[in-house]
Amino acid sequence: MRSLAYFIKEAFSNSRKNFSTTFGGIITIFLSLLVIGVFMVASLIIDQMIKSVESQVSISIYLHDDVTDMDLESFKGFLSNMPEVSTVVYISKEQSLERFKEQATTDIADQLDGNPLPALLEVSLREPDKVQSVVDQIMANDLFLSVIDRPDAPQDSIKYGKDIIEKLFSITSTIRIVCIALVILLVFVALIFINNTIRLAILARRKEIAIMKLVGASNGFIRGPFLMEGFLQAVIGAGLSIGTISMLCNYLIKNVQTILPWLPINMGQLSLWMIYLVLLGAGVVIGLFGSLWAMRRYLKV
Amino acid sequence: MDENELIQQAPGAPPIVIPMTESAPQPVIIQQETPKRAEKSGPLPITNRPTQGGIPVILFEGVSKVYSAQPNKPALSNINLGINAGEFIFLVGHSGSGKSTFIRLINREIVASRGRLLVAGEDVIRMRNWRVPYLRRNIGCVYQDFKLLPNKTAFDNVAFALQVIGKSKHIIRTQVPEVLRLVGLEDKIHSYPDQLSGGEQQRVSIARAIVNRPPLLICDEPTGNLDPQTSLGIMRLLDRINRTGTTILVATHDREMVDSLRKRVVELENGYLVRDQDKGVYGIDA
Ligand SMILES: Nc1ncnc2c1ncn2[C@@H]1O[C@H](COP(=O)(O)OP(=O)(O)O)[C@@H](O)[C@H]1O
Ligand SMILES: [Mg+2]
Repeated sequence: MRSLAYFIKEAFSNSRKNFSTTFGGIITIFLSLLVIGVFMVASLIIDQMIKSVESQVSISIYLHDDVTDMDLESFKGFLSNMPEVSTVVYISKEQSLERFKEQATTDIADQLDGNPLPALLEVSLREPDKVQSVVDQIMANDLFLSVIDRPDAPQDSIKYGKDIIEKLFSITSTIRIVCIALVILLVFVALIFINNTIRLAILARRKEIAIMKLVGASNGFIRGPFLMEGFLQAVIGAGLSIGTISMLCNYLIKNVQTILPWLPINMGQLSLWMIYLVLLGAGVVIGLFGSLWAMRRYLKV
Repeated sequence: MDENELIQQAPGAPPIVIPMTESAPQPVIIQQETPKRAEKSGPLPITNRPTQGGIPVILFEGVSKVYSAQPNKPALSNINLGINAGEFIFLVGHSGSGKSTFIRLINREIVASRGRLLVAGEDVIRMRNWRVPYLRRNIGCVYQDFKLLPNKTAFDNVAFALQVIGKSKHIIRTQVPEVLRLVGLEDKIHSYPDQLSGGEQQRVSIARAIVNRPPLLICDEPTGNLDPQTSLGIMRLLDRINRTGTTILVATHDREMVDSLRKRVVELENGYLVRDQDKGVYGIDA
């Protein structure tokens, strides 16, 4: 315990001596963790968006007017039995028309001759990202052609929010790739900075280190101050990034949600704490690893 | 870890073998004229040492050291030597003869290439790295260049040696002034190195080397930077420390010193041990 106090004291005195590099190390850790944190928060938000869009995704199957009850029932049975499917709702021609009238902005519906709208089955999914495979399975079913509205063009009888989903997924995967590349770059820069700070600290203390070795200070005792210095830099950098991110999140929740109410920003407090924990952990790993790296190269004990 | 542990293992160490000839003491011959031949054949050491009892503190058995930078010229070749507890030994030889290498093998600043080297009962060649600090706590070291920290007072320089091996403030407060008084610096306790003369700085470094009361003190050219008068003072101090029971090994090429103290003299030449003599002189080739 006495050595721990000594390590901290020495680490602070090292940092004072090499203030600019120490500052640089803290700032790079702060920035890299900030970017990691922002991306984590952003992907949390996007995940939420995808979920909310996906939950609205359903597959509509337009039915032939003369479909028999037997065919319809067994087709519904087939759909309900698919493990990916959560609910199957039958919407009659009349309900279809009602809906159309509600949504239509003009009174075009009144001018319609009879009811041209088909009845439909609305299939909602348990796992929305499986939509394509579910659609493929439905279209492969024997009954499909006999129940649908237009057997000559089966593609037009089954509709689902394919484009939105694919777009969102491609956005998130691009964001993920960019994020990973940037984070790798920044972590590398942070490591170089810490390595450099510790290297300077070691050089500034090489006389002390030589004497410590001579009089038999243990390796741990010699390394302690430098490890502590890397650790403290990392913790300070992580603290700054966590503070900044929590401020950003508060701002987002306060302002963006009033301006853009349709954007579902709903970060659970738990997920935020997880992000903070990850940032602190990543910072500590970067700090300790950076010091160890420098010590391997410049501090032979 | 108890810093005395290593030394306590000493009684279990194997008996010491001191190289000596059967014949009566003979005149010392320095083989300076034929260094090249000596290098190849490996001269037999000339000794007049009687067998001595006692606990071996240092034991060289066929020790060689080859630096990787000079693979064809061993810095030390097949050294056999025993040093007993309480001895005072001068290690002499020309510059480049291997004195510093010899010293640095003992506190494991470097590792021997061949042979067996026991220090305080421990095989320092096969010793695990993490044990080296504990070996060094039993070996005080003094160098030509003092190795003092310029931003620390005499007191703080000595205290540093105790701090970094985890000694308590109480021990530091009592032992440091005591050892500074022992080396004759009671008036200069709070002086910085640049306020001290060379001899005084070397006294601080000796104080630092013995403050933890090591059983063994090794000195590499301790008077190399000092004038003859000051050197004599330093040697008297070392002699005094030796009389408290500390084994002392001094590498030097200070002829006057060696001749006036008449201690055991071990001479190296081109990495070979060429002489081991009780109450010896520096050499007769002057
Ligand atoms: N670190 C080293 N690398 C290579 N050769 C060395 C090294 N240190 C010493 N030597 C060589 O080993 C020999 C003995 O050197 P040294 O032990 O320093 O002698 P001394 O102290 O008696 O002057 C010399 O030939 C020297 O050049
Ligand atoms: Mg030398």
